[in-house]
Amino acid sequence: MNIRKLAWKNLLRRKSRALFTGLGIFLGIGTFVALASLTGQMRQAVQDKLDRFGANILVVPRTDELSLGFGDISLGGTQVARAKLTMEDEKAIRSIPLKERLRLVVPFFLTAADASGKDIVWMGMPAQEIPSARPWWKASGSMKLGKGEVLLGSEAAARLDMGPGGTVTSGGRTFRVAGALAPTGEKEDGMVISGIDDVQALARKPGAVTFYEVAALCKDCPVEDIVTQIGGALPGARVSAIRQVVESRKAAVDQFRRLGLGVSAIVLAIGGLMVFVTVMGSVQERTREIGVLRAVGFRRKAILSLLLWETGWISLISSVTGASIGIAAAILVAPLFGMARTGAALPPAILGVAIGMALGLLGAVPPARKAAALSPTAAIRSL
Amino acid sequence: MEPLIRLESVAMLYGDNGTSAAALRGITLSIEKGEYVGITGESGAGKSTLLTILGGLQVPTSGSVRFDGVDARSLTQDQLADLRRESIGFVFQAYNLLPYLTARENVMVPMSPVRMGSGEKEEKANALLASVGLSGKEHRLPSELSGGECQRVAIARALVHDPSVLLADEPTGNLDTASGEQILDLFSEWNARGKTVLMVTHNPANLARATRSLRLRDGQVEEDRALRFLPAGPAAV
Ligand SMILES: Nc1ncnc2c1ncn2[C@@H]1O[C@H](COP(=O)(O)OP(=O)(O)OP(=O)(O)O)[C@@H](O)[C@H]1O
Ligand SMILES: [Mg+2]
Repeated sequence: MNIRKLAWKNLLRRKSRALFTGLGIFLGIGTFVALASLTGQMRQAVQDKLDRFGANILVVPRTDELSLGFGDISLGGTQVARAKLTMEDEKAIRSIPLKERLRLVVPFFLTAADASGKDIVWMGMPAQEIPSARPWWKASGSMKLGKGEVLLGSEAAARLDMGPGGTVTSGGRTFRVAGALAPTGEKEDGMVISGIDDVQALARKPGAVTFYEVAALCKDCPVEDIVTQIGGALPGARVSAIRQVVESRKAAVDQFRRLGLGVSAIVLAIGGLMVFVTVMGSVQERTREIGVLRAVGFRRKAILSLLLWETGWISLISSVTGASIGIAAAILVAPLFGMARTGAALPPAILGVAIGMALGLLGAVPPARKAAALSPTAAIRSL
Repeated sequence: MEPLIRLESVAMLYGDNGTSAAALRGITLSIEKGEYVGITGESGAGKSTLLTILGGLQVPTSGSVRFDGVDARSLTQDQLADLRRESIGFVFQAYNLLPYLTARENVMVPMSPVRMGSGEKEEKANALLASVGLSGKEHRLPSELSGGECQRVAIARALVHDPSVLLADEPTGNLDTASGEQILDLFSEWNARGKTVLMVTHNPANLARATRSLRLRDGQVEEDRALRFLPAGPAAV
């Protein structure tokens, strides 16, 4: 028998009270850990995307909205490209004042075309740019595209029921399948990828470009300036920084994260208050018991540590279970947010347990001090 | 030689906002080692209050209390707690056992703040329970014991640190005659080993084994007389 055990025994005596004492901490830590790990994962996912977009500037033809309307009533619209992009535009892009900062200028050409009798989008890009523009691609078979060869996106491969070594026919030509890509989660999963000249030839649009991806060389380079300069060099094109798009998503995630942390903070504050109230109540109820302990020679510090041990056990158990439930909830909910990853859940859990312990003990300090100050004569006052 | 406990002009006032009531008014007495003092008096006479002061549970409003010559006022709260743990055992009318602990665990409670192997603590508690006739009932909860057995557990708990003084406030108040006798037997036995017993009681019959009778009235000593002589020396002052 020591003070730690005594505290434990006392908890077991009043299980429902202990449960209630820990409830607020349990809920608070559960919310905190669930939201923290979920938003952590979301941030990670957005960041991954940001890193994967080596090309962080997109150049597309400027389109005019032809609105067919009557006053404010819109009758629908159609987008008409004002000027098409061509292979020649690469020279213009590469001639901007900040041209040394350009790492990649990659033309893409997209067209819907027949592939072995099925309608599929073909994506053409310079074969030699694949490793630098799409470094995250993984393929079974080979990723080197020769003339007359194609790569199949994972879904396209499934639709065509074709793998490396097979063939795809289109427009009277036969293409050899060099490789099949592993799923990327992007649109190219459903596409046939080939050399840009081959796809242009299929569409009978030699030299045509659907969009350019431009990658700048550095992380904190003057993306805004590059965007403006490319816009100046290509008046018919709309130039936008992809990073901005992703960053605004990151900001949204951050906002959600702050909201989540705010909610957990409120729940935790209530949890701390619940500890304070229940422990205070238990001290009032136990004046005689505490008096007896003081009478048999417990120092005030021993009473203090008895009550702190009690709340310590409760806080530990409720924050550990809260954190576990929180992680489980985050893992369960993650797919709803389009995330498969479940990593990075441990740090918020450890932080959560630490916060839960600290809060529980903090809430217990005032009542424990009150208990320690109780007079030992309470023991002798018979009924 | 210094008496075990010495009170001089001790007064105790309860309540501090105008309506103060004097529970004790000017008590001077000495308790010698080996005495068995029976404290009697009407309800409200101040018996329990006197016991709390003799046991170092509280310090009087005025007057001095000396334990073995040491002034209680010079002791800190912690030192008083240490004094109680090491030198004084308490037995209460309502047993005051912790209901969620077994008999043996209750006996071990005063050892909780002490660094000692748990096996050693258990052995000590078992031996004490055996000495009050409760072998085999170590693992019972207070709710599974009779009143007399509970009080014997409380006595075992009071004796854990081998105190020199045992203080009892109406220890037989809740018990039938037979169980009360067993408790008194334990006190006598313990007193015969040269230890001091101070017992508050309503029942004059309980004075039969005491060496000294102290009767209080309105917070003062109405009568203080020797009932029989101690082997070692004079009982009364
Ligand atoms: N904590 C307290 N606050 C205020 N007054 C108190 C307190 N404790 C005791 N008293 C008062 O002091 C007086 C003496 O009380 P005490 O408990 O010492 O009497 P007692 O002789 O033990 O009585 P009983 O035989 O009923 O137990 C009583 O008038 C009581 O009301
Ligand atoms: Mg009393």
